[in-house]
Amino acid sequence: MHRHGSLKRRLLVLTLATVVLVWIGTAAFTFYDARHEFDEILDAHLAQSASLLVVQSSHDLGEVETEHAPLLHKYSRRVAFQVWGAGHVLRLHSVNAPSQPLADREQGFSNSVIDGIRWRVFSTWDESGNNLIHVAERSEVRDELASSIAGNLMKPLLISLPLLAILLWVAVTRSLHPLVRLAGEVARREPGSLAPLDAGNAPREVVPLIERLNQLFVRIEASLQKERRFTADAAHELRTPVAAIKAQAQVARAAAGDEERIHALDNAILGCDRASHLIEQLLTLARVDTLGDGAIESCPLRAIAAEVIAAIAPAAMERGVRIELMEGNEMTVRGNPVLLRILLRNLIDNAVRHTPSGTSVRVGVSGESGRIRLSVSDNGPGIPEADRVRLSERFYRPLGTSASGSGLGLSIVKRIAETHGATLQVESRKNESGQIDTPEDNKGLRVTVMFKS
Amino acid sequence: MRVLLIEDDALLGDAIQAGLKQSGYAVDWMKDGVSADQALGTEPYAAVVLDLGLPRMSGLEVLRRLRSRNVPTPVLILTAMDTVDDRIRGLDAGADDYLVKPFDMGELTARLRALVRRAAGTTAPVLRIAGVELEPAAHSVVWRDHSIELAAKEFAVLHALMLNAGRVLSRGQIEEQLYSWGEEVESNAVEVYIHHLRRKLFPELIETIRGVGYLIQAEKNTGAGKHIPDERDA
Repeated sequence: MHRHGSLKRRLLVLTLATVVLVWIGTAAFTFYDARHEFDEILDAHLAQSASLLVVQSSHDLGEVETEHAPLLHKYSRRVAFQVWGAGHVLRLHSVNAPSQPLADREQGFSNSVIDGIRWRVFSTWDESGNNLIHVAERSEVRDELASSIAGNLMKPLLISLPLLAILLWVAVTRSLHPLVRLAGEVARREPGSLAPLDAGNAPREVVPLIERLNQLFVRIEASLQKERRFTADAAHELRTPVAAIKAQAQVARAAAGDEERIHALDNAILGCDRASHLIEQLLTLARVDTLGDGAIESCPLRAIAAEVIAAIAPAAMERGVRIELMEGNEMTVRGNPVLLRILLRNLIDNAVRHTPSGTSVRVGVSGESGRIRLSVSDNGPGIPEADRVRLSERFYRPLGTSASGSGLGLSIVKRIAETHGATLQVESRKNESGQIDTPEDNKGLRVTVMFKS
Repeated sequence: MRVLLIEDDALLGDAIQAGLKQSGYAVDWMKDGVSADQALGTEPYAAVVLDLGLPRMSGLEVLRRLRSRNVPTPVLILTAMDTVDDRIRGLDAGADDYLVKPFDMGELTARLRALVRRAAGTTAPVLRIAGVELEPAAHSVVWRDHSIELAAKEFAVLHALMLNAGRVLSRGQIEEQLYSWGEEVESNAVEVYIHHLRRKLFPELIETIRGVGYLIQAEKNTGAGKHIPDERDA
């Protein structure tokens, strides 16, 4: 079948071929069945004719010498008989009978070919045992009869086949109309249109297709909307730092003294740093999807954590924050090492930003009942329960946070966790007994990522 | 001229505060909706610069609460939200003007001047009383074709009195317009500024109402200086 073969043509061809095959099969069966029945009936006739001759011969044939019997019916030309006196003297025979014996056998049915003519023969002796009687019929009669019956069966097919083809074509066309209509509807749609297709009078077989299509449209619409919202949000988020840079620059230009000017310029530079951090984070978030398709390999989580900590530690030290990697064994996670590094960097970076100077950020990697637990804890102000739910929303910055964050860090972490089938948990820091470690710790935040091992 | 700035972004807020100060405004800066709402409930401001995306209470909510108290203070919304719907929502909630980030500092101060002018019932960008011309945009005062050099605070006192011409302003009211929160108010500062203004211009310009405050008489038919109750009061 051609890849883009027509469903209509296929249906037509298959249906017509089936009809023809079934018809031919029926005709063949009828031919052989009729042939068999004719054989029986005609054989019975032969035997009957023979028995008549047997009765006849015992009375009259004594006087007859090689006599020709007249032909009485058009079919009688095809029926022949011979009466052989004493088995070897031809005493009586029909006009069309050959001169030599019609059969070698002397009793029962046999087939023979004489002068190129095929005969079906019934042979018997008469009651006196003096005369051997052969009654024969040309075999082609039987063939002709069976063929004529089979032919009569085939003839209507030949006539009706074109008619059938036309009717089928109309029927198939009409049946396929909903499909054609659907295809037309899809083809006529605006490229951007995601309106659902009407399943109103579609046939049952097509309804699942339409439903699936509509579900797909809904999903595409949702993801498009998410994308649009994200772009709009991103644009808004970029506006504020740009506004700050511009305003600071204008303040610097109008500044009366050096001190004021330098303060404004420093702030403008800070604003640029913040804007570029935001842009970096946006790009990272956009890349998570494409990177997520990358190679999955066994990643040593502790080693990656150590690597990330080593990179962040100097900047953290400057802020008076220590980062500690808690004791434990190496844990291996199936995933993308690039993404895991981004996840760890964001978590630790967040913690360092929010923990007060003089405290430390603790990173833990541990195995736990078939799962691998990565946790990052800080001693920062923590986040009230109500705000925690919204924490991983894009651009969400809880009150009181320094504006240095992009509001994207936990969104990125959540996305990466999702692509690794891991769960993200944000909680107030408590020790195992449920007690808060120390009074100063009660606001600290712990972010836990649970990987399947 | 005292302005309330409500903006949660540290860097932007710092810049606006500095920029407004350069234009001679005293600026109070609130970083969340609740403290802004409290400040608006207690202090008189000539104008408000309001960001919409605020923690604890949204900017629109602050605005609605302000208007529900029948406070006519002009409010300029300064936000990153730029759709027509956003603007309509903001203006319908009671804002007088709408500016989208990023903005030009010059435009922000010009719009604030216009808002303050209109709130005072005047339309002319230049205030003229008894031959004294005060142009808030240029921060200039001209008297008898001479440009008069005034310190920022002196200018602010003169501006407040001319805007409220015909009305007595108490010392406290003038101080409120001069100083933002946390700024130390020097004792007798207002008296000193009035004294300077009388010396640099002419003594009769500002009258002292003993025990009450100070006054610049409104001129008839100037169209300026007369305090007309704002139509939004009604």
